[in-house]
Amino acid sequence: MNALAIATSTGGSWRILKLTGDLDFHTAPQLRAAVEAQPLSPNHGLVIDLSDLAFCDSSGITAMLVARRLTVAAGATMALAAVPGRVARIFARAGLDQIFTIHATTADATATATATATDATASDDAG
Amino acid sequence: MPPGSASESGATAGCGSHDEERAEFSALLEDSTDDLYEHAPCGYLSTMLDGRIAKINTTLLDWLGHRRPDVVGRMRFSDLLTVGGKLYHETHFAPLLQMQGQVNGIALELRTADGGRLPVLVTSVVKKGAGGEPLLIRTTVTDARDRRAYETELLRARQEAETAHAAADEALRLAEDRSDGYRRLAATLQRTLLPPVLAAPEGTEVAAHYAIASVDEVGGDFYDLFPLPGGKWGLFLGDVCGKGAVAAAVTSLARYALRSAAVFDSDPAEVLSNVNAVFNQEFPGPDLRFCTVVFGLLTPDPNGDGYTATLASGGHPPALLLSADGTAAYLPTPGGQLIGVLEEVHIATTTVRLRPGDTLLLYTDGLTEAHGGGALVDADALVDSDTPVDAEAPVDADAHDDRFGDTALLAFATRLAPTTAPHLIHALTKLLDSFGEGLDDDTALLALSVPPHPADGEPQ
Repeated sequence: MNALAIATSTGGSWRILKLTGDLDFHTAPQLRAAVEAQPLSPNHGLVIDLSDLAFCDSSGITAMLVARRLTVAAGATMALAAVPGRVARIFARAGLDQIFTIHATTADATATATATATDATASDDAG
Repeated sequence: MPPGSASESGATAGCGSHDEERAEFSALLEDSTDDLYEHAPCGYLSTMLDGRIAKINTTLLDWLGHRRPDVVGRMRFSDLLTVGGKLYHETHFAPLLQMQGQVNGIALELRTADGGRLPVLVTSVVKKGAGGEPLLIRTTVTDARDRRAYETELLRARQEAETAHAAADEALRLAEDRSDGYRRLAATLQRTLLPPVLAAPEGTEVAAHYAIASVDEVGGDFYDLFPLPGGKWGLFLGDVCGKGAVAAAVTSLARYALRSAAVFDSDPAEVLSNVNAVFNQEFPGPDLRFCTVVFGLLTPDPNGDGYTATLASGGHPPALLLSADGTAAYLPTPGGQLIGVLEEVHIATTTVRLRPGDTLLLYTDGLTEAHGGGALVDADALVDSDTPVDAEAPVDADAHDDRFGDTALLAFATRLAPTTAPHLIHALTKLLDSFGEGLDDDTALLALSVPPHPADGEPQ
């Protein structure tokens, strides 16, 4: 079992959370705390960079869904960058590839304007 | 003998001496003989043999708050005692005194005029006449409040120590009970989340299995198979995110929502949409509760030739069909989304014919996510013998991953096909056992097969 490190940085109007290590039952609360610590508003976007994610289980996927619900509730945009193959397969199976906005890299994500990068499914649960 | 008889005056402290100094000192003492009796640092009283009080000193009257005229010749010694003191006096004190002529330092409680209690130590002596006949009882009463307080303190300290000890024992016992209790509760909860016996639709065989990954926690897998109007049957199998008591509650909700939604509208996609609405209503906050589930509707073939299964998937791993012709294939339902995450959920549906010799398998991803290489084991061996499975064998499923995986499951199923529900579940149960510690998550399996027509005579 490995720890999770979350590095926070800024790119334009985007806040970037880069995850290194395992996102699982034990570390999922860290991601939630990190998301809650971000200034989330309609003018901000949040990218979760998964390029150095070593492991992700169902608790980790739940944590990403929680992150999404928190950002959507704040009127902000959320995107995932560099989703690992295995996680992408789970996303596809669970229909999550349509729920999350997914980019190949963080640079691709932050190149998008937050104001126009409205998640197509965001209106689904804006309540 | 009358109260205040001469024999009871000047009873103490005669210290006469010869030299002058002593005489002065003695005079002082002689002057105060009565005073000493009346104001001695202890209580004195003399009682008749029947207990009536003949004489009592001021000290004791002050302690009791009584006036002399109310006491002397009117009250008995026992009248000065508390109820408990009276009992003890009657049953122990008086008989002992009668027997021994003397009783020393007995703890009793006096009742004061204002209703208070005064703990005292009582010593009594029977005064005898020249012929040895008992005349009266002389009693000294010592204030024992301090001593009683000390004893009470001792007693309380001991009681507290005993209480603490008992509490520690109890806590230990409870802790042991609790962990046992939790396990029992987990097992009980698990049972309530699964049907005790699966009824089989007419002309089918069914089998199911639930593999528990941890005895300490309730998993979130569930399944059921139940009749609907018009000879149709509903079936579902799913997986709630998380573990433990909360997951159990969500699982229970999912089960009942699925059963009632199926009665209300048996269209599988509608059933899952309704359950999604229930989840969104129940868990609106950021603390997500969701599940993946396959819901199926079995419609009997009009010619009695098996069933048509319509399967709707909400983000669940695809069902597997092991066909009569010896092939196996996933029944993909791409794009079906998790139940409970979105307000409007997309549900994917697929329809398949279950003909004689076909077997349908629903499973949770505990099976495909398990660590281990059961994939390479001969499926026939699993079915036909009790040969232990080599879980350490290399894996072909996923190069960077030791998980069992979809590819291995399909290969496993292909080797088994054609089969029956009981055979398939038996083989998969042995496969799950072979994973041992590699089974991270609870796994639910539900299989339904249509037996081949005996009339066909077609060997499978």
